[in-house]
Amino acid sequence: MSTKPLILGIESSCDDTSLAIIKGHQILANVVSNQKVHAEFGGVVPELASRAHQQNIVPAFEVALKRSGIKKEELNAIAYTRGPGLMGSLLVGSSFAKGLSISLGIPLIEVHHMKAHILAHMIDDNESTPNFPFICLTVSGGHTQLIVVKSPTDMEIVGETIDDAAGEAFDKAAKMMGLPYPGGPLIDKLAKEGKIGTHPFNVGTMDGYNFSFSGFKTSVLYYLRDQIEKDPNFIEKNKEDLCASIQDSILGALFKKLEKLVEETGIKDVAIAGGVSANSELRARLAAKREEGWNTHIPKFEYCTDNAAMIAMAGFFSYEAEKYGELAAAPQARMPF
Amino acid sequence: MPTASIEVSHLSELPQLAKEVIDLAKPAKILLFKGDLGSGKTTLIKNICNFLNVNEEVTSPTFSLVNQYENKEGEKIYHFDLYRLESLEEALDIGFEEYLDSGNWCLIEWPEIAEELIDGDHLIVEIKVVGEQRIVNISKQN
Repeated sequence: MSTKPLILGIESSCDDTSLAIIKGHQILANVVSNQKVHAEFGGVVPELASRAHQQNIVPAFEVALKRSGIKKEELNAIAYTRGPGLMGSLLVGSSFAKGLSISLGIPLIEVHHMKAHILAHMIDDNESTPNFPFICLTVSGGHTQLIVVKSPTDMEIVGETIDDAAGEAFDKAAKMMGLPYPGGPLIDKLAKEGKIGTHPFNVGTMDGYNFSFSGFKTSVLYYLRDQIEKDPNFIEKNKEDLCASIQDSILGALFKKLEKLVEETGIKDVAIAGGVSANSELRARLAAKREEGWNTHIPKFEYCTDNAAMIAMAGFFSYEAEKYGELAAAPQARMPF
Repeated sequence: MPTASIEVSHLSELPQLAKEVIDLAKPAKILLFKGDLGSGKTTLIKNICNFLNVNEEVTSPTFSLVNQYENKEGEKIYHFDLYRLESLEEALDIGFEEYLDSGNWCLIEWPEIAEELIDGDHLIVEIKVVGEQRIVNISKQN
């Protein structure tokens, strides 16, 4: 009987410090540093970014070991996010990963953050796992990508945003309505009470599979300004309908390209990834596609937002392929896919 | 008093505006961009990067805080968006001062929260939405 490798995943590309331990495809611990970790260690809640990562990373590692019930000497490899992300933040995770790899004498594995979001689908406690090849729509506050995934190590971006990410379009439209930032989740909630198609917002059409949301933002700006001129209480009176229209416009733009890609490639396994996967209407519209023969996949929410479980999962595939990283490899703020 | 005030009525005028902004900025390489959501800050910066010979896709750094590009001449261009930051400490935490002192191009959207850290020569570009036009006020600071 072959034993499944134990891999530590380290994610520090943006705001959250996260460490996870995976055994094969099974997550033993997935720690995302927030007040809870600090509560366990009686510390304070720090500010965001690199100096915060420095404070979080060692406690998060201790908690991950404790929760998984393994000793660090049992680890087989260390996988870390090499990029893309914020340089100062990436440096903390990569330095920690390299130090640990040297001291334990085990391989180091470089992971591409955006590829890991997709491979999060391969973790075994998700509701379903896509079959290769599949299409993945990654939507978050920072990214909007359409990817054809042929295997864990062979994937191709066929379309992406040329300006704002879809999650950002949600947040900024909410802000223009006077909702708190980030207001994406609030739009989702209010839209449930509203009617779609009541307010016109334009999302520019792009060639091929790319997306653009900056024109949409301007369209919301003009529309709200002109309506408020006529009625100062316009937003308050139409809040729900406005949210429904904003959401419908953004999701409409995403689905148009997704449908086109499914049609042109004939691939029926369709997955979503990234923080916007939490949007209930996006989930509902995707689920409805099952009627048309799509096999749809939505990961567990904890694997949608930034997390180290997905880094550990991606690390597993590289480990199996014996694709190891080098100590000299510098983090990359912008990393080729 | 702004150094220049330019009216823009169409996206097609942005390449020319980008050139004028860079000409006015020289030799300073730090540029601040102010204006409401949807006024076109990122879109103008796309045009400026294009003028500076950046071949990569220039996207919004609201989430990432800073994007880094490199042009054909090998110059580094940092594209910031401080919109998500809530305090000066957070700007210091991302190493904002190190970027400013790097001598590379720094194109900064929503600079207000960290403006006191910017004391060298720089250019302020303010975009006002008037009807469907933009009034772009540019002022040199030193």
